Amino acid sequence: MTLFNVIRRTTLGVAALAALTIGAAAQAETLRVGMECTYAPFNFKNADGSLDGYDVDVAKGVAEILGADLEFVCQKWDGMVPALLANKFDLVVASMSITDSRLEKMDFSAPYRISVGRLVGKKAGDLTLFDDAGAPIAAGFDGLRIGMGRATTYASWFEAKLPGANVVYYDSSEAMYLDLVNGRTDMIMTNPMKAYLKFLSKDDGAGFEFVSPQIDETDYFGVGVGIGLRKGNDDLRDRLNAAVLELTKNGSLETYALKYFPFAIHNEGWEG
Amino acid sequence: MSFDFSLVIDSIPKMLMGLGLTLQLMALSAVLGTVLAVVLLLMRISRRWYLVWPSVTYIYIFRGTPILVQIFIIYYGLPQFEAVRDSIFWPILREPFGCAVLALSLNTGAYVSEILRGGILGVDKGLGEAAAALGLSVRQRFIHITTPIAIRLATPAYSNDIVSLMKSTALASTITLLDMMGIARTIVAETFAPYEVFLSLAVIYMVMTFFIQKAFGRFERHMSRYLKREN
Repeated sequence: MTLFNVIRRTTLGVAALAALTIGAAAQAETLRVGMECTYAPFNFKNADGSLDGYDVDVAKGVAEILGADLEFVCQKWDGMVPALLANKFDLVVASMSITDSRLEKMDFSAPYRISVGRLVGKKAGDLTLFDDAGAPIAAGFDGLRIGMGRATTYASWFEAKLPGANVVYYDSSEAMYLDLVNGRTDMIMTNPMKAYLKFLSKDDGAGFEFVSPQIDETDYFGVGVGIGLRKGNDDLRDRLNAAVLELTKNGSLETYALKYFPFAIHNEGWEG
Repeated sequence: MSFDFSLVIDSIPKMLMGLGLTLQLMALSAVLGTVLAVVLLLMRISRRWYLVWPSVTYIYIFRGTPILVQIFIIYYGLPQFEAVRDSIFWPILREPFGCAVLALSLNTGAYVSEILRGGILGVDKGLGEAAAALGLSVRQRFIHITTPIAIRLATPAYSNDIVSLMKSTALASTITLLDMMGIARTIVAETFAPYEVFLSLAVIYMVMTFFIQKAFGRFERHMSRYLKREN
């Protein structure tokens, strides 16, 4: 370790200590939130320069519950975790998925957005594909051809749950949607948010709709997107969890989602 | 960089599950392409301009454009037209398999037609004249004298084309077919190990080429048995 590093560390430590003391003493703590600011519709800048999006709404909602002031920091994606660890900001609210490798370096709150897959198919098809519990019915998929990305989580889900299904793999989503429109496949499985933004809300997707419930088995799709924070802030994490739960229960998360999507994108059944 | 042999052992049987599809694509396209080639050839040597020109144009177009482009035009281009989707051909064109066979046949037909023409041009004129002197009709001369010799002359180039057709079937993986190449690409996407997987696949294709060459070698010896000197 060089002398420079020692000095830097010490100064940082002192600064952090000072920040902590000041934070506790002051009326409201200030939470600095890192995000890309270019990832519409989750976090992006409006024409007037103000930040908007689902992530931004969640950050604001959480801050209101915690009684904290917010300060947004725009940070490029590849430097997001390093910047958090270097104390450039306190929270990451940037559509960051909770993964095992990230959990080694940082903590996450409970998910404020879930990772799901959903089937998109022709409107007015009277198909019975899922039972009331949301489990797929294998017989319902007989004779259907389902498109999905090659080697994706959707493909592993299908392989495990519906091994006999006639699946078709694609390397690009353009080709996948083209074949769906042309009738080469009967339905596709994909990320419902992307499907809505890129397809269902456009002219091409006019005759199509979601034909399945949200499929959210965490073994395949992961836990979802959470608020990232540095390790060792268990108190803050607990307060964030409580805030996310409150936003879930009072319907705020749904309101935020409905601004951009015709459906909710959080775990509606979450009880904390 | 390490080479993972267990991955090779794992992936070869998986890729061989696509062997049937690869062989189907190859065999069907070879047969349909050769039939098309004979028709094109007869048009080409008919000396009637309204048959010659369509044949020449067709061959020029299909030899002058990449097979991948032809596959994409047939697979992605044709369904853009409502009329195609409503036509009786849609059950075939809807299937990626049908599109792949169609594209490969149309393409290989153009090449094989030129190969066969080369064979016919290579037949000694004197043989035809001798046959004419013996009173054989034009049709008889073509079927009994020219054709067998032309086939023998064209065989080496034809076998070459079948080998390249076999390798072209790998392009079917670009339109969602899970032939050996399609399976290999899926394994690579899962394991991030292109080196091991594609190298194993290359070996499989090479073994197939070996057998195709052997088969054509036998056929060639059979067709040229009259040239062998008796010892």
